Amino acid sequence: MTALKKLTLTEPELVLALQSKDPAVLKTLYSMYSSALYGVISRIISHTELAEDVLQETFVKIWQSAAHYDHTKGRLFTWMMNIARNLSIDKLRSKDFKNSLKNQDIENNVSFVDEQNKVTFNPDVLGVKQLVENLKPDLQAVLNLVYYKGYTHVEAAEKLDLPLGTVKTRIRLAIIELRRSFN
Amino acid sequence: MSVENLKAYIESGVLELYVLGDLSPEEALQVEEIASQYPEVRDEIAAIEQAMEQYAMQNAVEPSADVETKLFEKLGIRDEDELGTISTTPIYSDSEEPKIVRLDSSDGKIRTLRFALVACVALLIISTAALFITYNKLNDAHDQIASLNLDKQKFAGVVSQLEYENKGLDNMVAMADSKEWVTIRMAGQAFSPNAKMNVYWNKKDKSVIINYVAMDLPKTDAEHEYQLWALVNGKPVSLGVFGKSDSTTNEALQKMQAIQEAQAFAVTIEPKGGSINPTMEKLTVMGGV
Repeated sequence: MTALKKLTLTEPELVLALQSKDPAVLKTLYSMYSSALYGVISRIISHTELAEDVLQETFVKIWQSAAHYDHTKGRLFTWMMNIARNLSIDKLRSKDFKNSLKNQDIENNVSFVDEQNKVTFNPDVLGVKQLVENLKPDLQAVLNLVYYKGYTHVEAAEKLDLPLGTVKTRIRLAIIELRRSFN
Repeated sequence: MSVENLKAYIESGVLELYVLGDLSPEEALQVEEIASQYPEVRDEIAAIEQAMEQYAMQNAVEPSADVETKLFEKLGIRDEDELGTISTTPIYSDSEEPKIVRLDSSDGKIRTLRFALVACVALLIISTAALFITYNKLNDAHDQIASLNLDKQKFAGVVSQLEYENKGLDNMVAMADSKEWVTIRMAGQAFSPNAKMNVYWNKKDKSVIINYVAMDLPKTDAEHEYQLWALVNGKPVSLGVFGKSDSTTNEALQKMQAIQEAQAFAVTIEPKGGSINPTMEKLTVMGGV
């Protein structure tokens, strides 16, 4: 019990509690990962309300399909992040999202636009942004599309008019840059 | 897979796409298969995952607080405090408790019903006993009413008898006071020495009246009745028949046939309807004027 009340757990503990449907673990999971997942979601969906909806849907799906997670196939966060990315991309392509863009009230437009362009300064993130900005432009373009815009590598290849292999290689190189910077 | 092929596979970027979830299920399955065989691939995937995770952590954005509230509301998960208290108590006790309460309440209901049944049976027995007692009392009452009715009839009979006699006596008194009426007392004869009877004869209009109250004649049977005679110059003349002395006809007085003159009156017992000549053996009373 006291272990569950802590806000961080080791991954095997989290997985075990999650798969035994312990409600307490979802609280822990949320406090540990909601902002990281919201970071992923909000970079794909800039509309705050919709992004928050997706965050909620993400945790609902994590809770409901916890049994499907197989730790031998990868880390828990990778699994959760992919749920968040897939739900975000689905939302981005849904009627819901397109309608919400069309139906902005003119009265609310100022605050909406403000919201869209909100700049928050997260000291932890500053270095990373800089790092991503310091990537070579061709690597940055690919990473932007794939990571921030939710493009598949196939779509990114079409968008950038590049061969698939090149896109793949550039994604790899960008991630290697990240890995290097974290180590 | 040779070492070179393995290196080429790792460098192809497919593992990054795998981590990003950007592969078809078949391709992903293939990656997993290779990863299970080659630790190098496994390590590479782990490194990519770690990098992506750290990257996401460093790009974290805090969502608004009400997302969490709404999420746990939607999933029906309560506050952490409550979760704590629930988890410290065994789960089964939580689900068992209402069961006990439910059983208890149904037990109580059955007990109440049992009491009600006992009460009903007791009430039924009491009612039956009360009904039986009442029935007996009613029977007693019926018997009493019947006997009272009998008494009443008896008294009514006595009263009417008394009235009848009273009337007769009134008449006798009236006749005795009157100068017009002559009372002839007839005394018992050989056939019935204890018998006696009066005859009233009006000197003015010569009518003859007998009074049932003023007679004591021997009893007759159903085929016989009394016949009154007047002796006129030694000859019997019938003045009519009359019934039993104890008959309860309404009138105490009975008018007989009038006779102009007579020396004596007599009564005989004759067959019903009367006879032309008196049966002398059954001469009951006789008296001279």
